[in-house]
Amino acid sequence: MATETVLSQQKQAVARSSGFNWTHGLTIISGVLMLVALYMALVWAPDAANLIAPAERAAQRIFYFHVPSAWIGFLAFIVAAVASLLYLLTRQQKWDIWALASVEIGVAFFAMVMLSGPIWAKPTWNVWWTWDPRLTISTISWLLYIGYLMLRGAVDNPDRQARFAAVYALIAAMSVPINWVAIRWWRTIHPAVVLPGNNTSAEGGFGMSADIQTTLLFCLFAFTVFYATLMVHRIKLENLKRRVELLRQQILYQ
Amino acid sequence: MGDLTFLAAGYAVFWIVSFVFIYTLVSRQRSLEKEVQVLEQFVQQESEVE
Repeated sequence: MATETVLSQQKQAVARSSGFNWTHGLTIISGVLMLVALYMALVWAPDAANLIAPAERAAQRIFYFHVPSAWIGFLAFIVAAVASLLYLLTRQQKWDIWALASVEIGVAFFAMVMLSGPIWAKPTWNVWWTWDPRLTISTISWLLYIGYLMLRGAVDNPDRQARFAAVYALIAAMSVPINWVAIRWWRTIHPAVVLPGNNTSAEGGFGMSADIQTTLLFCLFAFTVFYATLMVHRIKLENLKRRVELLRQQILYQ
Repeated sequence: MGDLTFLAAGYAVFWIVSFVFIYTLVSRQRSLEKEVQVLEQFVQQESEVE
Protein backbone atom coordinates (compact mmCIF):
# COMPACT_ATOMS: atom_id res chain seq x y z
CA MET A 1 0.00 0.00 0.00
CA ALA A 2 2.83 2.34 0.97
CA THR A 3 4.66 1.47 -2.27
CA GLU A 4 1.51 2.27 -4.27
CA THR A 5 1.20 5.68 -2.59
CA VAL A 6 4.85 6.51 -3.31
CA LEU A 7 4.42 5.17 -6.83
CA SER A 8 1.45 7.44 -7.38
CA GLN A 9 3.44 10.44 -6.04
CA GLN A 10 6.36 9.47 -8.28
CA LYS A 11 4.06 9.22 -11.29
CA GLN A 12 2.76 12.72 -10.56
CA ALA A 13 6.34 14.03 -10.26
CA VAL A 14 7.28 12.50 -13.63
CA ALA A 15 4.09 13.85 -15.22
CA ARG A 16 4.79 17.30 -13.79
CA SER A 17 8.36 17.34 -15.05
CA SER A 18 7.56 15.90 -18.49
CA GLY A 19 4.25 17.64 -19.19
CA PHE A 20 5.41 21.25 -19.20
CA ASN A 21 6.18 22.68 -22.61
CA TRP A 22 8.33 25.37 -21.04
CA THR A 23 11.16 22.84 -20.64
CA HIS A 24 11.44 22.67 -24.44
CA GLY A 25 11.31 26.47 -24.59
CA LEU A 26 14.00 26.76 -21.93
CA THR A 27 16.19 24.26 -23.80
CA ILE A 28 15.90 26.23 -27.05
CA ILE A 29 16.54 29.57 -25.30
CA SER A 30 19.55 28.07 -23.55
CA GLY A 31 20.99 26.75 -26.85
CA VAL A 32 20.54 30.14 -28.52
CA LEU A 33 22.12 31.97 -25.57
CA MET A 34 25.14 29.64 -25.67
CA LEU A 35 25.62 30.27 -29.39
CA VAL A 36 25.37 34.07 -28.87
CA ALA A 37 27.87 33.74 -25.99
CA LEU A 38 30.23 31.84 -28.31
CA TYR A 39 29.92 34.58 -30.96
CA MET A 40 30.56 37.33 -28.41
CA ALA A 41 33.55 35.50 -26.92
CA LEU A 42 35.23 34.69 -30.21
CA VAL A 43 34.24 37.58 -32.48
CA TRP A 44 32.58 40.51 -30.70
CA ALA A 45 34.88 40.94 -27.68
CA PRO A 46 38.08 42.96 -28.28
CA ASP A 47 41.57 41.62 -27.63
CA ALA A 48 43.04 42.26 -24.18
CA ALA A 49 45.25 45.29 -24.91
CA ASN A 50 48.07 44.51 -22.43
CA LEU A 51 48.79 41.00 -23.76
CA ILE A 52 51.49 41.19 -26.45
CA ALA A 53 52.20 37.61 -27.61
CA PRO A 54 49.62 36.61 -30.29
CA ALA A 55 49.09 33.09 -28.84
CA GLU A 56 48.58 34.52 -25.34
CA ARG A 57 46.16 37.13 -26.66
CA ALA A 58 44.15 34.49 -28.55
CA ALA A 59 44.15 32.08 -25.58
CA GLN A 60 42.86 34.86 -23.30
CA ARG A 61 39.46 34.34 -24.98
CA ILE A 62 39.23 30.96 -23.20
CA PHE A 63 38.49 33.19 -20.18
CA TYR A 64 34.93 33.86 -21.44
CA PHE A 65 33.97 30.19 -21.02
CA HIS A 66 36.50 29.24 -18.32
CA VAL A 67 35.22 31.73 -15.72
CA PRO A 68 31.49 30.97 -16.27
CA SER A 69 32.24 27.21 -16.05
CA ALA A 70 33.92 27.80 -12.69
CA TRP A 71 30.98 29.98 -11.61
CA ILE A 72 28.53 27.19 -12.51
CA GLY A 73 30.72 24.67 -10.66
CA PHE A 74 30.57 26.83 -7.52
CA LEU A 75 26.86 27.55 -7.94
CA ALA A 76 26.07 23.85 -8.46
CA PHE A 77 27.98 22.83 -5.33
CA ILE A 78 26.27 25.53 -3.25
CA VAL A 79 22.83 24.49 -4.57
CA ALA A 80 23.73 20.89 -3.69
CA ALA A 81 24.69 21.95 -0.15
CA VAL A 82 21.43 23.88 0.35
CA ALA A 83 19.37 21.00 -1.08
CA SER A 84 21.25 18.55 1.16
CA LEU A 85 20.54 20.68 4.22
CA LEU A 86 16.86 20.84 3.25
CA TYR A 87 16.85 17.05 2.81
CA LEU A 88 18.31 16.51 6.28
CA LEU A 89 15.70 18.87 7.77
CA THR A 90 12.63 17.66 5.87
CA ARG A 91 13.58 14.16 4.57
CA GLN A 92 11.79 14.99 1.34
CA GLN A 93 13.14 12.94 -1.57
CA LYS A 94 13.02 15.88 -3.98
CA TRP A 95 15.86 17.65 -2.15
CA ASP A 96 18.04 14.56 -2.48
CA ILE A 97 17.27 14.54 -6.21
CA TRP A 98 18.16 18.26 -6.46
CA ALA A 99 21.47 17.68 -4.69
CA LEU A 100 22.43 14.73 -6.88
CA ALA A 101 21.48 16.55 -10.09
CA SER A 102 23.40 19.66 -9.07
CA VAL A 103 26.56 17.77 -8.09
CA GLU A 104 26.57 15.81 -11.35
CA ILE A 105 26.29 19.02 -13.39
CA GLY A 106 28.88 20.75 -11.16
CA VAL A 107 31.37 17.93 -11.72
CA ALA A 108 30.88 18.20 -15.51
CA PHE A 109 31.44 21.99 -15.46
CA PHE A 110 34.44 21.62 -13.18
CA ALA A 111 35.86 19.10 -15.66
CA MET A 112 35.67 21.89 -18.27
CA VAL A 113 37.54 24.21 -15.87
CA MET A 114 40.21 21.62 -15.07
CA LEU A 115 40.80 20.85 -18.76
CA SER A 116 40.59 24.39 -20.18
CA GLY A 117 42.77 25.87 -17.40
CA PRO A 118 46.01 24.12 -18.48
CA ILE A 119 45.25 24.96 -22.15
CA TRP A 120 45.07 28.65 -21.19
CA ALA A 121 48.05 28.32 -18.81
CA LYS A 122 50.50 26.98 -21.40
CA PRO A 123 50.74 30.12 -23.61
CA THR A 124 50.37 32.44 -20.57
CA TRP A 125 52.60 30.86 -17.89
CA ASN A 126 54.60 28.59 -20.25
CA VAL A 127 53.62 25.54 -18.19
CA TRP A 128 50.57 23.27 -18.40
CA TRP A 129 50.32 22.89 -14.64
CA THR A 130 51.77 24.29 -11.44
CA TRP A 131 50.94 23.49 -7.81
CA ASP A 132 49.44 26.91 -7.25
CA PRO A 133 46.93 27.28 -4.33
CA ARG A 134 43.97 27.92 -6.67
CA LEU A 135 44.81 25.04 -9.01
CA THR A 136 45.47 22.64 -6.14
CA ILE A 137 42.29 23.54 -4.24
CA SER A 138 40.23 23.31 -7.45
CA THR A 139 41.58 19.81 -8.05
CA ILE A 140 40.78 18.78 -4.46
CA SER A 141 37.29 20.26 -4.79
CA TRP A 142 36.66 18.39 -8.05
CA LEU A 143 37.90 15.10 -6.59
CA LEU A 144 35.72 15.64 -3.49
CA TYR A 145 32.59 15.82 -5.64
CA ILE A 146 33.63 12.84 -7.77
CA GLY A 147 33.87 11.12 -4.37
CA TYR A 148 30.28 12.21 -3.65
CA LEU A 149 29.07 10.39 -6.77
CA MET A 150 31.15 7.32 -5.87
CA LEU A 151 29.73 7.34 -2.33
CA ARG A 152 26.20 7.28 -3.72
CA GLY A 153 27.10 4.30 -5.87
CA ALA A 154 28.60 2.45 -2.90
CA VAL A 155 25.56 2.58 -0.57
CA ASP A 156 22.57 0.38 -1.52
CA ASN A 157 19.96 1.46 1.00
CA PRO A 158 18.26 4.53 -0.56
CA ASP A 159 17.55 6.33 2.73
CA ARG A 160 21.06 5.76 4.04
CA GLN A 161 22.52 6.75 0.65
CA ALA A 162 20.59 10.05 0.69
CA ARG A 163 21.53 10.77 4.32
CA PHE A 164 25.25 10.01 3.89
CA ALA A 165 25.36 11.96 0.62
CA ALA A 166 23.67 14.99 2.24
CA VAL A 167 26.20 15.12 5.09
CA TYR A 168 29.07 14.62 2.64
CA ALA A 169 27.78 17.43 0.36
CA LEU A 170 27.63 19.82 3.31
CA ILE A 171 31.23 19.06 4.29
CA ALA A 172 32.48 19.18 0.67
CA ALA A 173 30.82 22.59 0.19
CA MET A 174 33.48 24.10 2.48
CA SER A 175 35.89 23.81 -0.45
CA VAL A 176 33.88 26.46 -2.38
CA PRO A 177 34.66 29.53 -0.20
CA ILE A 178 38.25 28.30 0.30
CA ASN A 179 38.61 28.09 -3.47
CA TRP A 180 37.17 31.62 -3.89
CA VAL A 181 39.57 33.21 -1.41
CA ALA A 182 42.62 31.18 -2.54
CA ILE A 183 43.60 33.76 -5.19
CA ARG A 184 42.85 36.71 -2.90
CA TRP A 185 44.52 35.65 0.32
CA TRP A 186 47.56 33.65 -0.78
CA ARG A 187 50.51 34.26 -3.09
CA THR A 188 49.44 32.87 -6.44
CA ILE A 189 50.01 33.31 -10.17
CA HIS A 190 46.34 32.69 -11.00
CA PRO A 191 44.77 36.01 -12.03
CA ALA A 192 41.85 37.33 -9.97
CA VAL A 193 40.13 39.12 -12.82
CA VAL A 194 36.70 39.20 -11.18
CA LEU A 195 36.66 41.26 -7.95
CA PRO A 196 40.47 41.12 -7.69
CA GLY A 197 40.93 42.72 -4.25
CA ASN A 198 44.66 43.33 -3.68
CA ASN A 199 45.86 40.72 -6.15
CA THR A 200 46.07 42.46 -9.53
CA SER A 201 49.56 41.56 -10.64
CA ALA A 202 49.29 37.80 -11.24
CA GLU A 203 50.72 36.41 -14.48
CA GLY A 204 48.17 36.61 -17.30
CA GLY A 205 45.99 39.12 -15.47
CA PHE A 206 44.40 41.89 -17.52
CA GLY A 207 42.22 44.91 -16.95
CA MET A 208 38.67 44.57 -18.25
CA SER A 209 37.33 47.13 -20.71
CA ALA A 210 33.57 47.75 -20.95
CA ASP A 211 33.20 45.35 -23.92
CA ILE A 212 35.15 42.59 -22.18
CA GLN A 213 32.98 43.06 -19.07
CA THR A 214 29.78 42.96 -21.16
CA THR A 215 30.89 39.73 -22.86
CA LEU A 216 31.83 38.13 -19.56
CA LEU A 217 28.49 39.11 -17.97
CA PHE A 218 26.58 37.76 -20.95
CA CYS A 219 28.52 34.48 -20.83
CA LEU A 220 27.82 34.20 -17.08
CA PHE A 221 24.10 34.71 -17.78
CA ALA A 222 24.08 32.18 -20.68
CA PHE A 223 25.87 29.57 -18.56
CA THR A 224 23.44 30.12 -15.66
CA VAL A 225 20.47 29.50 -17.98
CA PHE A 226 22.31 26.44 -19.36
CA TYR A 227 22.76 25.16 -15.79
CA ALA A 228 19.04 25.68 -15.04
CA THR A 229 18.14 23.78 -18.23
CA LEU A 230 20.41 20.88 -17.37
CA MET A 231 18.96 20.81 -13.83
CA VAL A 232 15.41 20.51 -15.20
CA HIS A 233 16.40 17.60 -17.46
CA ARG A 234 18.55 15.84 -14.85
CA ILE A 235 15.76 16.08 -12.22
CA LYS A 236 13.29 14.68 -14.76
CA LEU A 237 15.70 11.79 -15.43
CA GLU A 238 16.11 11.04 -11.72
CA ASN A 239 12.32 11.02 -11.22
CA LEU A 240 12.05 8.50 -14.06
CA LYS A 241 14.81 6.36 -12.55
CA ARG A 242 13.08 6.28 -9.16
CA ARG A 243 9.78 5.46 -10.83
CA VAL A 244 11.41 2.42 -12.49
CA GLU A 245 12.73 1.29 -9.10
CA LEU A 246 9.27 1.61 -7.53
CA LEU A 247 7.58 -0.24 -10.38
CA ARG A 248 10.08 -3.08 -9.99
CA GLN A 249 9.32 -3.21 -6.26
CA GLN A 250 5.59 -3.26 -6.97
CA ILE A 251 6.01 -6.20 -9.37
CA LEU A 252 8.25 -8.07 -6.91
CA TYR A 253 5.89 -7.70 -3.94
CA GLN A 254 2.61 -8.05 -5.83
CA MET B 1 51.85 25.64 -32.55
CA GLY B 2 49.72 28.27 -34.27
CA ASP B 3 48.29 31.25 -32.43
CA LEU B 4 44.77 29.83 -32.48
CA THR B 5 45.61 26.24 -31.48
CA PHE B 6 45.19 26.83 -27.74
CA LEU B 7 42.00 28.81 -28.30
CA ALA B 8 40.52 26.06 -30.48
CA ALA B 9 41.54 23.36 -27.97
CA GLY B 10 40.07 25.35 -25.07
CA TYR B 11 36.69 25.78 -26.74
CA ALA B 12 36.68 22.17 -28.00
CA VAL B 13 36.85 21.07 -24.36
CA PHE B 14 33.66 23.00 -23.46
CA TRP B 15 31.65 21.68 -26.38
CA ILE B 16 32.88 18.08 -26.13
CA VAL B 17 32.13 17.86 -22.37
CA SER B 18 28.73 19.53 -22.92
CA PHE B 19 27.74 17.21 -25.76
CA VAL B 20 28.91 14.08 -23.92
CA PHE B 21 26.92 15.14 -20.83
CA ILE B 22 23.77 15.92 -22.86
CA TYR B 23 24.15 12.68 -24.86
CA THR B 24 24.32 10.59 -21.69
CA LEU B 25 21.26 12.43 -20.30
CA VAL B 26 19.23 11.80 -23.45
CA SER B 27 20.27 8.15 -23.85
CA ARG B 28 19.57 7.37 -20.17
CA GLN B 29 16.20 9.11 -20.43
CA ARG B 30 15.20 7.13 -23.54
CA SER B 31 16.12 3.79 -22.02
CA LEU B 32 14.28 4.64 -18.75
CA GLU B 33 11.16 5.74 -20.64
CA LYS B 34 11.11 2.41 -22.50
CA GLU B 35 11.60 0.55 -19.22
CA VAL B 36 8.75 2.47 -17.54
CA GLN B 37 6.47 1.64 -20.45
CA VAL B 38 7.26 -2.08 -20.27
CA LEU B 39 6.91 -2.21 -16.48
CA GLU B 40 3.61 -0.29 -16.51
CA GLN B 41 2.21 -2.68 -19.11
CA PHE B 42 3.30 -5.60 -16.95
CA VAL B 43 1.66 -4.12 -13.83
CA GLN B 44 -1.54 -3.44 -15.77
CA GLN B 45 -1.65 -7.00 -17.15
CA GLU B 46 -1.04 -8.43 -13.69
CA SER B 47 -3.86 -6.34 -12.18
CA GLU B 48 -6.26 -7.43 -14.99
CA VAL B 49 -5.43 -11.10 -14.33
CA GLU B 50 -6.17 -10.62 -10.62
